[in-house]
Amino acid sequence: MTNATQLPVTLGLRLLRGPAGAVLVMATIFVVATLAFFAINGREAVSLFQEMVMGAFGDSYSFSETLVKTAPILLTALAVALPARLGLISVGGEGQLYLGALFGTGAVLAAVDQPGWILMPLMLAGAMAGGALWGVIPGLLKTRLGVNETISTLLLNYVGILLVSFVVHGPWKNPNSLGWPATIEFPAGAIMPQFFDTRVHMGLVFGIVAAIILHILVTRSRWGLGLQVSRSNPRVGATAGISYERNVLIVMAVGGLLAGLAGIAEASVIQNRLQDGLASGYGMTGFLVAWLAGQHFLRIIPLSVLMGGLLASADSLQLYAQLPKASADILQALLFIIVLAVASLWGRRRDI
Amino acid sequence: MNIQLYNITKRFGDVTANDGISLDIRAGEVVALLGENGAGKSTLMKMLFGLYPPDGGAILINDRETTIESPQKAMSLGIGMVFQQFNLVPALSVLDNLLLAYPKSPFWTFRRLFRTSPRKAVLTYLQELAPGLAPDTLVRDLSVGQRQLLELVKVLNLDAKVLILDEPTSVLPPQEAERLWGLIRKLAEAGRSVVLITHKMQDVMACAHRVVVMRAGRMVQTIDRKQCTESSLVSLMMGDSNQRSAIEVTPREAFANRPPRISIRDLHARHGAQSVENIRLDIAPGEILGVAGVSGNGQHLLADALVGLTPLARGEVIIDGYLLQSASRPPSTSGRVSYIPEQPAVNAVAADLSLTTNVALSHFRHLSFFPAWAPEEQLTRNIIQRYQVRPDNPALAAGQLSGGNLQKLVVGRELEGDKDLIVAAYPTMGLDAGAAHDIYQALFAKANEGAAVLWISEDLDDLMSYAHRIAVLQGGRISGIFDPRECDRLDIGRAMTGEPQPARTQRPPEQKPADPRVRAAS
Repeated sequence: MTNATQLPVTLGLRLLRGPAGAVLVMATIFVVATLAFFAINGREAVSLFQEMVMGAFGDSYSFSETLVKTAPILLTALAVALPARLGLISVGGEGQLYLGALFGTGAVLAAVDQPGWILMPLMLAGAMAGGALWGVIPGLLKTRLGVNETISTLLLNYVGILLVSFVVHGPWKNPNSLGWPATIEFPAGAIMPQFFDTRVHMGLVFGIVAAIILHILVTRSRWGLGLQVSRSNPRVGATAGISYERNVLIVMAVGGLLAGLAGIAEASVIQNRLQDGLASGYGMTGFLVAWLAGQHFLRIIPLSVLMGGLLASADSLQLYAQLPKASADILQALLFIIVLAVASLWGRRRDI
Repeated sequence: MNIQLYNITKRFGDVTANDGISLDIRAGEVVALLGENGAGKSTLMKMLFGLYPPDGGAILINDRETTIESPQKAMSLGIGMVFQQFNLVPALSVLDNLLLAYPKSPFWTFRRLFRTSPRKAVLTYLQELAPGLAPDTLVRDLSVGQRQLLELVKVLNLDAKVLILDEPTSVLPPQEAERLWGLIRKLAEAGRSVVLITHKMQDVMACAHRVVVMRAGRMVQTIDRKQCTESSLVSLMMGDSNQRSAIEVTPREAFANRPPRISIRDLHARHGAQSVENIRLDIAPGEILGVAGVSGNGQHLLADALVGLTPLARGEVIIDGYLLQSASRPPSTSGRVSYIPEQPAVNAVAADLSLTTNVALSHFRHLSFFPAWAPEEQLTRNIIQRYQVRPDNPALAAGQLSGGNLQKLVVGRELEGDKDLIVAAYPTMGLDAGAAHDIYQALFAKANEGAAVLWISEDLDDLMSYAHRIAVLQGGRISGIFDPRECDRLDIGRAMTGEPQPARTQRPPEQKPADPRVRAAS
């Protein structure tokens, strides 16, 4: 063999040994596992898999539904990834999302007669305040009392979900809804802008813009440098004049604020009202996406789209193949395990 | 037991750590292995202890060539080594640590059946070496010096015929060092051999029979101790071409009348089990105040409280009439105060960030919101060049540098710019004489520019050579303030351990500080 033919081969091999190879292996294992899952359920695996891909990305309608699901995943993933940049493991995206919906809805109900140019900012501000509150509480518990943020955010999720449940069953229940636990329908001024005649809404734009801004801030700014230093060695940060405590509150608040936006977008655009079972686990999905992306804000965007696709296609699986809705959760879990396992195996192999 | 090392060579990559070294170790003899850090002393002895295989040469034990492939083999041959790093379990008692290291006899043997615990056997040497140390004390409550002795007892308990001690006196206060020298002499009289790895002249003079001087991986000379002087050893150790200029320190009279730059008034602080109490110190601009003391007597806490990393329980710290720290408000750090903490790898750098980033941290407050990295990188290059930091790539993560190189980087960073107060804890620890010399020069130059320097050290020789005054910390309190020109090592030593000072008339004859070149090497 001559050198000329050898060169591309070795180059390709080197790429394969790097991250590209890891992604390829992950994708292959995931496809095989998904096919096996379908086969075990007694379905025509390959055609069902095709159906699934088409259901997520096949036509403009499917793709728009994918993007609808992408928005809350993206925002809650950012709500997890930002605290992670300071070494905090927050699992509170779900609760922050609910609190955003709760406070945003509260603002709508309080100013329901106002015109849209007042109502909309009020609603968004309320949502951001609610989400931020649900981030700041664990932040304060952490900095003042040393309470583990993972535990407190996890438990506050339940409080948030149940608070929403309480208001829609009680004080904010629409009296004309014949017992259905939900608020009144939002007025037109409180429906967030949508694009191209689909349900794709402003939340997606917020998420993408926030991801880019956060990426720039965290990688380029003095503040981001402070986060890196505090995460690596809080004592050194303190010596340099970087307040770990203040940064904990900032990242938790900003993260919560973004998840809060996801919550009000769901209530306003998707449901048109606040009701039980608002978010169907977006917060947890966001957590998975943030960790799959290695807390990298720009990688979170495409991964959120992929995950959104998986969730959207689950709807079509339900429809066409009569697979239970839990299939999406199972596939999601499979993906997560495969990615984490392959990534760590890949890292270990490269160390040798 | 006689050991002969014959033509031993060891390479690490391109670096030749030992180049054809031949050495005899005879029974009943104390051999001092003298050399600067990096001369290859430890490497040579680690090969004898079975930690590395030699690349060339042979080890002969009682005239038979022997391969020592592991420390277990070395110990079974009767060779024991005490390292600079301790291998103790802090949460266990002294006795338990000794029992852990004691070889177990198999369960079926007679001894095992009828003697439940070798408790008495393991404590014999301990009582001899440290009579005041209760065996049920937890190791985490011991001072560094006591831990060192405990390590030594562990090796003695293995009944080693050849003892290798790696820099044993570097962490001991003078009296304990003297007790150790006495013990070494006694061990030699009992027919054991001791190899003393050291760079301190006093160790050599106190107990060695023979001195082997090493420099840059080669053996320079073997001399009988009686035939050499301190200064001849220093020039052998450092090489004649390598003599450095003496370090200049402005005499104290130059600023005796200036108002203090920093006043520490009635400072109390507490952190966990540690506390400092009742600290009152004034430091004039340009003054170098040495703080001596056995490590763990509040040095760390005092430094943290001064720079604003620990809240004060009482008192205040004033710089030039302004309140720097006070018990009535939360602690805060200042850009005018430099801090060189102990163990910079843990306390002074973010290990996964680049050298440039770590250097920029010293003036983090003055960075623009989107920092410009080119000047920071230039600054880092300057520090790297001036202090000879290796490897010299500013983009490397700090964690990839050795402790000594990080030390140099941190010192360079902290001495950059205008400072009112410099708190330096063990700034030359683990550095060779050349690097230590450079760091002292830079540190004291800052004092000449008008900074007040609070210099925490365990090296009494250096303190006595350069500091204007020496305050001794003992149990969190200042147990004495000395003028190094008017006191001797034992005065300070007594203050370090809290023994009462004898009446002035009973003082032993004064030990003159030797010439600065000698001090620079120790």
